[in-house]
Amino acid sequence: MKKIFTLDTLYTILSFFASIFILIAIWEIVARATDRQIPGPASTWIVFKELIAEPFYDRGPNDKGIGNQLLSSIGRVFTGFGIGSLIAIPMGLLMGSSKAMMRLFNPIVQILRPVSPLAWFPLGLLAFQAAEGATVFIIAITSLWPTLINTSFGVATIPSDHKNVGKAFGFSKWKYVSKIMIPFALPHIITGLRLSIGVAWLVIVAGEMLSGGVGIGFFVWDSWNGLSLEKILIAILIIGTVGLILDKIFNAIQHVFAWENK
Amino acid sequence: MALTDHLTEPSIETLNGTNKATSNISVPNSIEIKDVTVSFKTKKGVYTAIKEISLDVKKGEIVSLIGHSGCGKSTLMNTISGMVSPTTGTVMANDNIVKGPGPDRGIVFQNYSLLPWLTVYKNIYEAVDSVLHSKTTTEKKEIVTNALAMVNLLPHKDKLPGQLSGGMKQRVAIARAFAISPQILLLDEPFGALDALTKGSMHIELLKLWNLDNRNKTIVMVTHDIEEAIFLSDRVVVMNNGPAATIKEIVDIPLERPRNKKDIVHDPKYMEIHDKLLGLLFDKFSINDIH
Repeated sequence: MKKIFTLDTLYTILSFFASIFILIAIWEIVARATDRQIPGPASTWIVFKELIAEPFYDRGPNDKGIGNQLLSSIGRVFTGFGIGSLIAIPMGLLMGSSKAMMRLFNPIVQILRPVSPLAWFPLGLLAFQAAEGATVFIIAITSLWPTLINTSFGVATIPSDHKNVGKAFGFSKWKYVSKIMIPFALPHIITGLRLSIGVAWLVIVAGEMLSGGVGIGFFVWDSWNGLSLEKILIAILIIGTVGLILDKIFNAIQHVFAWENK
Repeated sequence: MALTDHLTEPSIETLNGTNKATSNISVPNSIEIKDVTVSFKTKKGVYTAIKEISLDVKKGEIVSLIGHSGCGKSTLMNTISGMVSPTTGTVMANDNIVKGPGPDRGIVFQNYSLLPWLTVYKNIYEAVDSVLHSKTTTEKKEIVTNALAMVNLLPHKDKLPGQLSGGMKQRVAIARAFAISPQILLLDEPFGALDALTKGSMHIELLKLWNLDNRNKTIVMVTHDIEEAIFLSDRVVVMNNGPAATIKEIVDIPLERPRNKKDIVHDPKYMEIHDKLLGLLFDKFSINDIH
């Protein structure tokens, strides 16, 4: 049996707290150096306690609790990420399985991939006539590339040993795709998804700053307008923590589907 | 399984209670290779792997292709499997011209080629499901179970290939090839990656499966192991070194079946054949003479 609590896990926990301590220390130094123009940890903590005392209040369209803001951001991220993945995975499978498709679509991918999410925003507004649709659109279009590229790479690198099994036993197209292509590419696809969700979460703040409405990005912008720097700092910490949790979730999924290690 | 318990190839009589005429005169050809040349286009130009090779294999015969690495023996076998198309010439298998891989020819690959994400059972099931699609699910499941029982792997049916030893993996690959009951079985250096002890018991297992089927299956095997070739085969095809490899000589193995691994090595005929094959493989002067 594996021991659940070892000396190693103790070190990990201690290191984590040390790491948090270093962050707070730097923060305090910066706060003092700027003559508390940037608020320190202590005053931020007070505002934080107020914020989370009632996270889900709703007093009209421009005044909602931090929990509401966060949930609507997460919802938007998963919608955009989901739509992006639904496009990226089939496209990746197609590009990876055919050299002709790769040659045909790879230049498009390479041209569109480095485009900033903000540049897409006006196009989204035009297409959807609404800020909500535009935000989801820019998340989808900027987050789909890592999944697409990883999926096509995974499929393109299927070893000939595996392909030969399909040939030798006359696998149908569908059997080949479902029993050889997708299982082999799956770890690559999940790595792609992990990178994509990171990008999606990165894009959300910028998107919501432009679009307004409800969301953590709007919260940051609204706090700036209300000159509450404490709230901005809290939002930054929350954004970072949620990003970390999302990454950990996909990391766990990655381990579940890694047939190589079994 | 102790190797010493299984030194002898099980006879047809003990397994099936029937006897087959051993005369090969009236037996039809299972494989006919006619003037086959295989060339590949490479960056340096056209590379001819094998040149104008003709070979007939009778139904129920076990033939080994033997030669040095890179002599084109795998290429020759792949023209039978349909993985490689001949540049010129034709290959007939079961009276049909080979145009691609087909379920009438089972293949056991050198590196097992099991799908690592499927269990042992599923690996065989997917092949059976693909080839014998007209059968019902119950029938297919029965075929898979029987195939696994034949190679004594039923207790391991839910394991992934990564959890098996090399010998077990190869038994799965052999069970998979047998499960689709092909007329022809093609083995590409099937025991090359196994240790000597495992190899020995695998030889017996292969012959057991062949005997269980009344010696009706034609087996073509690529190997570079002289002892293995003699013990298993009816004929050994010795190939010249490539490029543009040809057949150097075909050596008959007139040793009676069932053969016993321990006794066979003391047979004067065995020693004669062994010496002959060694001479054919390691006499470089004569190879240069032929070119």
